Amino acid sequence: MAAVTVTHKEDRLALHRLGLWLFILSESFLFAALLTTRFYLQGVQRPPEVNQPLGLAISLILVLSSLTAYRGEMAAIYGDYRRFRRNILFTLGLGSLFLIGVGFEWSEAFRSFPPSTGFGTIFFTLTGFHAFHVLTGLLALLVVLLPGQKGRLASGNSWGVEAVVKYWHFVDVAWVFIFPTLYLVS
Amino acid sequence: MMPRPGLEGKLRFGFVVLGVLMVVEVTEYLVGTTIKGGAWPYLAILAVIGAWPILQYFMHITHLWHPEK
Repeated sequence: MAAVTVTHKEDRLALHRLGLWLFILSESFLFAALLTTRFYLQGVQRPPEVNQPLGLAISLILVLSSLTAYRGEMAAIYGDYRRFRRNILFTLGLGSLFLIGVGFEWSEAFRSFPPSTGFGTIFFTLTGFHAFHVLTGLLALLVVLLPGQKGRLASGNSWGVEAVVKYWHFVDVAWVFIFPTLYLVS
Repeated sequence: MMPRPGLEGKLRFGFVVLGVLMVVEVTEYLVGTTIKGGAWPYLAILAVIGAWPILQYFMHITHLWHPEK
């Protein structure tokens, strides 16, 4: 059987991207399943204690982190290492702020609608699942800040940064659907 | 290593996308908090409108079928 070897740099990159998008697609099915569970379990009912202003605030923080991640990726592609580093550090800060916001929301939610209630079940599952993705995204962003990255970017290899930043954007896209589903639908 | 030209324009464009996303998020919030009952179709549409710029301009989903040179 003849072995297929991908030699061209562009072909390898295209394959990497396809693989990443398939991973993102599989992840989106998980989020879609949880989002539909909310409507299956609770319909459009929502407890009035849900902190909507906090939900908006953390949404805006996450959207802002997508901008800094995008700027970091562009800087990496264009070989501006200092700007890349600064923007990824901003993204790390904003992502951490988002997690703090979710933690604060959880402390309120435990009192108002604990996980034993119908809405609490889906609220904690969905926000917890998403927060776990944010946490893994933060860890991946830390990895691209490791010292060896500068040499890779200088040699024109920014795939690692692109992959991590795409994953970060996906986490943002997921939240764009989670925010109205949990905080606004009623 | 000196940055290649064209970076500044791409960075500025990011702010345009951010502006759109922020407007969509705030509109979602206003729709969700002011319309009592029956807001979910509007929220669903706004969520799709909010996701699209991220997929298109930040994630470059079209590079899958139109690889950039």
